[in-house]
Amino acid sequence: MTAVATACPPAVRQGGGPVPVVSEGPALLAGIAQGPGLAAHLNRLGPAPRPSLGALVDMARDVDLRGRGGAGFPFATKLSAAARRRAVVVVNASEGEPGSHKDAALISCAPHVVLDGAAAVARALRTQEVHIVVSSEHPSLRRVVEKALRERVTAGECLDLRLHDAAPRFVAGQAQAVLQLLAGRENLPVTAWQPEAVSGHRGRPTLLSNAETFAQIGHLVRVGSAGYAAHGTAGEPGTTLVTLRGDGWAPEVREVAHGTPLADLLDEAETSRPLLLGGYHGTWLRPAQLRGMTVSRSAIAAAGATLGAGVMLPLAQGRCPLVRTAELVEYLAGQSARRCGPCLNGLPAMAEAVRALVHGEGSVRRVEELCGLVVRRGACAHPDGTARLVASMMQRFPAEVQAHSVGTCRRGREVSG
Amino acid sequence: MSEHQLRVDWPACKGHGLCAELLPEVISLDEWGYPIVHEPVKGEVLAMARRAVKACPTLALRLTLPA
Repeated sequence: MTAVATACPPAVRQGGGPVPVVSEGPALLAGIAQGPGLAAHLNRLGPAPRPSLGALVDMARDVDLRGRGGAGFPFATKLSAAARRRAVVVVNASEGEPGSHKDAALISCAPHVVLDGAAAVARALRTQEVHIVVSSEHPSLRRVVEKALRERVTAGECLDLRLHDAAPRFVAGQAQAVLQLLAGRENLPVTAWQPEAVSGHRGRPTLLSNAETFAQIGHLVRVGSAGYAAHGTAGEPGTTLVTLRGDGWAPEVREVAHGTPLADLLDEAETSRPLLLGGYHGTWLRPAQLRGMTVSRSAIAAAGATLGAGVMLPLAQGRCPLVRTAELVEYLAGQSARRCGPCLNGLPAMAEAVRALVHGEGSVRRVEELCGLVVRRGACAHPDGTARLVASMMQRFPAEVQAHSVGTCRRGREVSG
Repeated sequence: MSEHQLRVDWPACKGHGLCAELLPEVISLDEWGYPIVHEPVKGEVLAMARRAVKACPTLALRLTLPA
């Protein structure tokens, strides 16, 4: 492993969870040991170029840059769609997922890489208006970003940079919820009748992307598509940020090249247990599926999962994946904004159904029925993500589901109570 | 003739259920009383769908054309 930057991130998590270790990385997280200041940043890399819209779209297309918030939407397509009069740029670092710390790490260790990307996108869209949304879960994060913004303004940056605090809840980072926050309303999802690139902040074309996506742009404009492809594979150039064990012991944020074996990130004990890939809205994978697996969209898709926002949660030793899933569904039900009927009613029902299944009193059919009832029936994808987690549990652990139905747990512990 | 989609504004929908009364061809209610839209709207059902959209007490139902 590369050198560990002990100074990063300065953000202390509210609630006192362990602070993730952030390692120096090959591209976005290169040079973080020198601190997050603008002087060190410019000293190392020089000023970032600000290419034209056409050049930026071409570069993003050349390297097949995908959004890093979880959905993996092609960035070039989004940028082209937002390229109309009076566009707005929104950098989303709100990161509501408890298992993810990459955006907090990035924006506290390398804020100017993110802001270089935002500035390049703003220039390409001929706008000055840039909103930055950080999670209020990390109070010290705001100070780091404020300082970075002041440094840029002092250095002559002509952007109109505005900072916002997202509510510390799971669904606050969803695109429409972020737009609500920017408009001064409650930071909760609402129905999107059009993509935000078409009609976003106050009806204006809005390029809203994850903070890492902007950092990737910040790197790309400096090194060009050929330089960007120095890392990664031919099919998937570049690097990606991952959070390991983000909700548990020894959380860690790493920047890795696409194609990196999973075995380089997790130890043997961890890869011999089930892995929840993609966070609480993600997919369980069995240990057999992890063998030979690499950090690659195509390899992960072939296993029926997605990398999402790069969250990797190995199951803790001695734990049952069903019991763990039941806990997560309970948590996710509590994170509902409680505004959409199917989510408000369906997620608590699902939590109850999964809990009953774990205790040998439930029915697989009821769980499947509830999964079907919540999908695509909400303003945001919170119910869909929860259903995905539950469906992957049923699909990956049929033997365990069967064992629980007769009152035993294959993890060696009797299910009681 | 193009197919219209019936879309629900989920935070606005309060499960009054009028849409399912007026348009049982396309809409049923789930176990909590919220609409399940089964298929796109076309032909003679379209006029009734428009009526259901207008009748929704919370204006939570919309007819949209696929993009």
